[in-house]
Amino acid sequence: MMNKKSYQISDRRKITYHKIFPYLLIAPVFLYVLVFLVFPFLYGIGISLTDKKIGGEASFIGIQNYLTLLQDKKFVKSIMNTLEYTVISVGLKVILGMAMALVLNSRIRGRTLARGLLLIPWAVPTTVSIYVWKWMFSDAGGVLNAMLTQTGIVSHKIAWLSTPLMAMVSIVIVNVWRGAPFIGISVLSGLQTISSDLYESATVDGAGAVAKFIYVTLPSIKNVLMLATLVTTIWTFNDFEIIWLLTKGGPLNSTQVISTYSYQAGILQMDFGKAVAASVMFLPIIIILVNIVTGYTLKKEE
Amino acid sequence: MDKKRKRRRRLDKGLVCSYAVLVIFLIFSLFPIYWMLNTSLKSDTEIYEKIPTFVPREIKFDAYRRLLFETSFPRALTNSIILATVVSLVTIFFCMLAAYAITRTKIRGRSAMSRGVLYTYLLPRTMLFIPLYILAVKMGINNSLFGLGLIYPTFTIPYAMWMLIAYFKTVPVEVEEAALVDGCGPWRLMFRVFFPLVIPGIVSTLIFCFTLCWNEYLYSVIMINDSLYKTFPTMLSELIVDDVFAWAPLMAGSLISCIPILILYSVSSRNLTSGFTAGSVKG
Repeated sequence: MMNKKSYQISDRRKITYHKIFPYLLIAPVFLYVLVFLVFPFLYGIGISLTDKKIGGEASFIGIQNYLTLLQDKKFVKSIMNTLEYTVISVGLKVILGMAMALVLNSRIRGRTLARGLLLIPWAVPTTVSIYVWKWMFSDAGGVLNAMLTQTGIVSHKIAWLSTPLMAMVSIVIVNVWRGAPFIGISVLSGLQTISSDLYESATVDGAGAVAKFIYVTLPSIKNVLMLATLVTTIWTFNDFEIIWLLTKGGPLNSTQVISTYSYQAGILQMDFGKAVAASVMFLPIIIILVNIVTGYTLKKEE
Repeated sequence: MDKKRKRRRRLDKGLVCSYAVLVIFLIFSLFPIYWMLNTSLKSDTEIYEKIPTFVPREIKFDAYRRLLFETSFPRALTNSIILATVVSLVTIFFCMLAAYAITRTKIRGRSAMSRGVLYTYLLPRTMLFIPLYILAVKMGINNSLFGLGLIYPTFTIPYAMWMLIAYFKTVPVEVEEAALVDGCGPWRLMFRVFFPLVIPGIVSTLIFCFTLCWNEYLYSVIMINDSLYKTFPTMLSELIVDDVFAWAPLMAGSLISCIPILILYSVSSRNLTSGFTAGSVKG
């Protein structure tokens, strides 16, 4: 009798414990996210509505920062540059990444080794890859110009980082070099799930290589390709290091993008309100993109 | 007979094509890495020759000597190692618990939390760096390794949560149910039964968190002024001063800082993107 009663009490305790147990587990991460992500995020939106500068008191000025920004020619140029940089880089990364994945999925020897080697550009620290490319682009001693002039491909040295057009080309090259392997490896993981039966039956039906690619390969990798592309788009849109360390937004703002604009306004000119407003303005676009991503990744839970 | 031979020839053609494309990719991907090694082993006079030498005429370790004994690189590298190790270990521990709660218990708002994780992961740093900078200054933790250590989980936690949730979901619940029937308590169930099942996922997430901290540049350049607390990406960027470029030491430092990452990646490259794409591949 006694024994049974004590059992019940411990059971009840166990049940309440079971109920709070998950909340205990999640509490540290949850609190951290509140303090260091949610709060700064809301605080940032708040700052963008003020004229806060370093040290000074902030006063509420509504959407004045946003209006000033849209009238600023440099900012409008940086929006256009960001779009150009993102669209061209992502396009090239998708094409090269797909090609990479198809090659790695074919019956070549040493696939594992090749896969590892092709992943290296993605693995090395961003800043490191930027320094190497900066050195290869260099006017004095740069290997790219030496190779191009020696082989007779160009007659004059290319001013990689110091003319507006080539500066944009250069930052795109570095971004593609770094980012293509990510798409490649993601698509490869999709390709490896396609069963060879599908290809065999397509062959029986008389499908050629192109038809197989369009009707068998593409539909099977559609989801993973879309996901990798969307995430890459968000990353490229927000890219900072490659541009800042290669060109600092120059020459003549030809590679000025939203992130470098925001950095210059915020950290160098200490105009916090304007700097945060410059990135908050594009939050709706980012949110739309993230919503599409969640659509793809959380689908499996249905 | 004839058909078979024809088919093989066509196959070979495709294979040759694959090899050709692969070689182009390998050159494009690896040449900069080779050039880093090449430059780091040259003397300054050889570096600036009009026609660069593709193999150093004379191998010199001068750049490494200068980097290791005349700059603050060793200190910066130590800072990076400490920071990346501590942040990634702490991140992974707390994220394991939280991801377990989201995927394995009946906690409220699970799907909202999964969604929230994605939002935080993809939230642009450009939006956060100024509020975080102001916050750090107000808390008096800017210009210290501790401050950076407090800021770095803003990107490691969302990443780790995303990866771990994806991994944890792939484990069938039967094992735990069996353990529950045996009267296993919740902590024991989690640490002794569940976590051992997901070690590969945890290890590769840990490695990638380490990489994220290792590569970080923006927060480090904003928060740290004192060269005592600089991490290697910001320290190296200071070797480029105006028009004086110390290319050989810069390449030497770059190469050294790649080594830990390349070792870690070769240990666990297979798992690195699989968690990331798990959902969409299976869908």
